[in-house]
Amino acid sequence: MSLEPNFTADDGDWICSRCGVPLEQIKVQALYMHSAFDVILPRCPSCGLTLIPQSLAEGKMAEVEALLEDK
Amino acid sequence: MLLACTQSLCPVCLRLVDAEYRREGDTVLLRKRCPEHGTFEVPVWRDGRGMPSFEAWRRSMRIPAYPAHPATDVRQGCPFDCGLCPDHVQHTCTGLIEVTMRCSLGCPVCYARSGAGSEDPSLAALEKQMDALSLASGSCNVQLSGGEPTERDDLPEIIRMAKRKGFALVQVNTNGLRLGREKGYAQSLKDAGLDSVYLQFDGVDDDAYLPLRGRALLALKQAAVDACGRAGLGVVLVCTLVRGINDAQTGDLLRYALKQGSHVRGLHFQPVSSFGRFPWEMDSAPRITLPELMAALERQSGGMVKAEHFHAPSCEHPLCSFSAVYGRKADGTLGDPLGASCCSGGTTLAGERADMVDNAEGSRISRAFTATHWTSPHGGTSLNDAFSRFIAGSGADRRFTLSAMAFQDALSLDVERVRGCCIHVVAPDGRLIPFCLYNLTSLDGFSLYRSASAGTGDAS
Repeated sequence: MSLEPNFTADDGDWICSRCGVPLEQIKVQALYMHSAFDVILPRCPSCGLTLIPQSLAEGKMAEVEALLEDK
Repeated sequence: MLLACTQSLCPVCLRLVDAEYRREGDTVLLRKRCPEHGTFEVPVWRDGRGMPSFEAWRRSMRIPAYPAHPATDVRQGCPFDCGLCPDHVQHTCTGLIEVTMRCSLGCPVCYARSGAGSEDPSLAALEKQMDALSLASGSCNVQLSGGEPTERDDLPEIIRMAKRKGFALVQVNTNGLRLGREKGYAQSLKDAGLDSVYLQFDGVDDDAYLPLRGRALLALKQAAVDACGRAGLGVVLVCTLVRGINDAQTGDLLRYALKQGSHVRGLHFQPVSSFGRFPWEMDSAPRITLPELMAALERQSGGMVKAEHFHAPSCEHPLCSFSAVYGRKADGTLGDPLGASCCSGGTTLAGERADMVDNAEGSRISRAFTATHWTSPHGGTSLNDAFSRFIAGSGADRRFTLSAMAFQDALSLDVERVRGCCIHVVAPDGRLIPFCLYNLTSLDGFSLYRSASAGTGDAS
């Protein structure tokens, strides 16, 4: 089992509407207010469009956002 | 020298009058004249000895955030149409609901003359108030206040009700007597879902409590702090600050707060104002302005605090408060300041554009800050990703907030400030009234909003 931070889609198989190819789990860097976070997210291998799973957006990411905004 | 013009009230008849801020040396006075009762003035800012100047602190421009669902019309104009009216320019950060008229102390200093023997509002009435708050302000923070909320045996049920309504943070404003005396009581509030205790805490010895509260209370206060820690309740120590009584204890209070452990999340000062019950003449009250408090903290904290750490708020009006959030060091002292705190999201909110603040965004960040930082630390976060490691490394339990709020009384009231207020009392009829207007009383004790029958509160 990978110890990499791997956030998959909450449900379903996602296809990039622009490129028509399935999203893949790809390492991306999320940047917010001068902080960088390396995470693996569903991403289009062609154009780079990245899906933030709802559970992540409303969970840890929201918590990090709140902490950063307080600084 | 004339600095700015605004409007205020005559402290005698409470009519609207023109007012101006004037500088005389290092003191800024709010001066106004009533055609019937004459001229009044009060110091509102003393910025000598390297403290932030009134002009700089007041400068930030605001983008108004009007109520989405105003409850009242504009008829007489501010400050007589509160509800909120369509002209109010800030959303609610914290809504106060007074759950009882009773108080176990009846302090000599009390902003709302609590202790009167009126009947408690029913659970159904409180639910209506919560619904009114929720409709007007969404999932803001809610503070259960009074009177002394712990006088009600059904307080846990009220807390559960507030949690069911989805408020971001549920806090109880208390003198702490019952928390300190009654074994298991803190746990029962925690089990009901309470997030935070706003604990009246005026000093580190009974020289502060005797004149302000009428009796020696330090031992009970300590017991309350300990009980909250055992129950996992976040605590904010709240000091009513009076010149000549406890203004020499600000540094000791800070050291005391830090020594208690991470469940004491912050220290908040409320320089005393003259409304409700107070034992001095309004025009000769022992007032302390915000920069004087900054100077006291700098002087008394042994180097931990510097005035330059403090930020003006981005949520309420700049003249209403200051705050800073610090990292905690392992040895129990303050680390470096991390930036703006509580209602002062200014540094990151506006980024480099600190001259322009969006009130709606300021309110959102302020709510999130209070909800995050005034609750008890929580554990159990997985550390296998960058987000979790960041949360663990900079989480609220490693931080400490230091803040103060300057309330306005009938002498110091500035209509511009109350129009931008984000702390709203939910009146029994569901209207939202800015805190200072709700508690404001004239020189002869007449209330602008708080009716005699509903009039209670706690001076914490």
